[in-house]
Amino acid sequence: MFRRFTKLFTANVIEDIKFNNEEFTALGLRLKGEVISLFGRSLAIRELDSGSDNATEIELVNLTTPYYDIERFGISFVASPRHADILIITGSVTHNMEIAVKKTYEAMAAPKFVVAVGDDACNGGMFKDTYAVNGGADKIIPVDLKIPGNPPSPHEIINGLLGLMKAMRAGQRKTSG
Amino acid sequence: MEQTGNRRRSTLKLVQDAFSESHNREVYIPVMEFDFDNVLTALAGRDVVLTGLFAVENFKGHSGFTLLYVLEQRGSSNTVILKLALSGKEALSIAGDFASAWWFEREIRDGFGIEFPNAFDKRRLFLHETYPDDFHPLLKSFINQPITTRKSVTPEEEYSFKEMTGEGVYQIPVGPVHAGIIEPGHFRFSVIGETIFNLEIRMFYKHRGIEKLAEGKTPEQCVSIAETISGDESAANAVAFSMAVEKVCQASIPARAWQLRTILLELERIYSHLGDMAGMIVDVAFPRGASPFFILREEIFRQNAFLTGSRFMKGIITPGGLKKDIPREALTGLAEYLAAFLPMFEDALDLALGSSSVVDRLETTGIIRPELINPLNISGPAARAGGAAIDTRRDHPYGIYDKLEFEKQINDKSDVMSRFNVKSREIMDSATMISNLINTIQPGAVFAPLEYRDGYALALIEAARGQSLHWVNIKAGIIDRYKVRTASLCNWQAIEHAVLGNIVPDFPLINKSLNLSYAGTDL
Repeated sequence: MFRRFTKLFTANVIEDIKFNNEEFTALGLRLKGEVISLFGRSLAIRELDSGSDNATEIELVNLTTPYYDIERFGISFVASPRHADILIITGSVTHNMEIAVKKTYEAMAAPKFVVAVGDDACNGGMFKDTYAVNGGADKIIPVDLKIPGNPPSPHEIINGLLGLMKAMRAGQRKTSG
Repeated sequence: MEQTGNRRRSTLKLVQDAFSESHNREVYIPVMEFDFDNVLTALAGRDVVLTGLFAVENFKGHSGFTLLYVLEQRGSSNTVILKLALSGKEALSIAGDFASAWWFEREIRDGFGIEFPNAFDKRRLFLHETYPDDFHPLLKSFINQPITTRKSVTPEEEYSFKEMTGEGVYQIPVGPVHAGIIEPGHFRFSVIGETIFNLEIRMFYKHRGIEKLAEGKTPEQCVSIAETISGDESAANAVAFSMAVEKVCQASIPARAWQLRTILLELERIYSHLGDMAGMIVDVAFPRGASPFFILREEIFRQNAFLTGSRFMKGIITPGGLKKDIPREALTGLAEYLAAFLPMFEDALDLALGSSSVVDRLETTGIIRPELINPLNISGPAARAGGAAIDTRRDHPYGIYDKLEFEKQINDKSDVMSRFNVKSREIMDSATMISNLINTIQPGAVFAPLEYRDGYALALIEAARGQSLHWVNIKAGIIDRYKVRTASLCNWQAIEHAVLGNIVPDFPLINKSLNLSYAGTDL
């Protein structure tokens, strides 16, 4: 109890951060540069689970926790597809989620991009060719990028998003040139 | 008539005898169709808990369907499995006497087409509206392959939720797609003002066909399916599946394999509980207080990766032990980390619970009435926080748990705060358990090849969220039937009760205090 009070008086606004990961920060800063040049200021992501085993969701949540804190790179997860630039979809798109997936995609304003995260979303994973699923997000909505993994780590997800930015830049060059 | 009476007494007596012993065994007792109602009615008043109910086709020479009723009685480590061979495609619903049968029976109807004519709820469960009529994926006659479903549903065909009426009652539909990074499910609230009057939960949006997928696989192939039941319960489900297979093969597992499995199982409990605790503090709008829990959780994920190569400990557990050993350095590193972990965890608790507004939001919120625990088969921290001394690690010891020192963590307030406290104490217990194991672990084999046999067995395990039940039937070396019932399936019904009388803004907090797995429910 005593410790509780002393903590109150000694708390600083900026504390010593012992968990800085330079490699991840460098990756994030590159992504931030791409976000600024391609999206203006920030990137809004809507997450949609279409039948994952929940591990991918946990890694996506982890991106917002102190070790990764991707908001510092101008990236945030938003509550509505109407506010989103990118839809991150996980899961093999079960039949029971099919209508909800289409409605979510349709609710997004154009231009919109879809990233499939995790093996199941990429190609159905182990559920491919079974009765309960469609077998991958691209069977139901157009997918711009796939980030495989069971599940992909936070690093791999951020790396994948950087890949999407590069692809978009290449696409821009193609259309403008 | 006389004979019926005798038979009933004898079946009942067999059940009673099985429960009066405590040998941690599964006891199969056949029950005849004409006798079933009497036997179950007699059992209903005796503190017997229906922890699982499922169907098997072509089981033990009976070419039709057999229903298996898994029963526990508190105080006995034995599990009784009533075996009801059906003459046709109908069975008697017992959901009126055993509330946990409510979803079990609907699951059987969808999977096999077995009807329960006297059931009070005949709606489909995991096959939503777009699935064709007369489609029953668990029938042996259905070969697992893609099927055509309907692309739209008319309003008349939509699932009918319970309509609550009265002055000022209105409905709030939430989901399946939620605002945060959460799995999909539908919550239908009936509300008066801000107070929740009724909640109906509809799940199975994530139904992936886990049980059918397992059929025809070898036990080794099936472990990865068990791991994907629920990503953050990978270790518990992989170990439980392996235990069931090992029981069938009457195999014994090297000591080091069980010590390492136990370390992984307790690490899973730690990171799972840490996530729940962080979530509870986030949901009372105190992100600074949640951050330390998130930091510790990430550090555990990294320990998991050092130990197994996977942040979710996937790909290491297998029937017979482990696929690979864990190096000494990784274990020493974990022990050093855990020594630093405990004071940091205590600081995190001090920060969170030092806030009076956190305490105010957690206390008296979301009470799960203790009298619901047995009928609904609520397990895990949700049950222990309601005063129930149930923990599979102690009640049905497996592996090396009977040699480990730890107490069942009980709290009797039944509210969100008591679940927070039970989880925090279990984290400390698990950390101590792991450190002690690392101190005493000896080098040795981590795998003993199994001699595959045919047969069936039940395995029970205490996953972070509660008891997970796995039943495996192996025929000619391949999986003929794999039944899974995770704690989440039953614990969802606890939430329907826990929210009553609470305000809508406390729903996320109550939900997070149980943090159930949608994937693990929907299968």
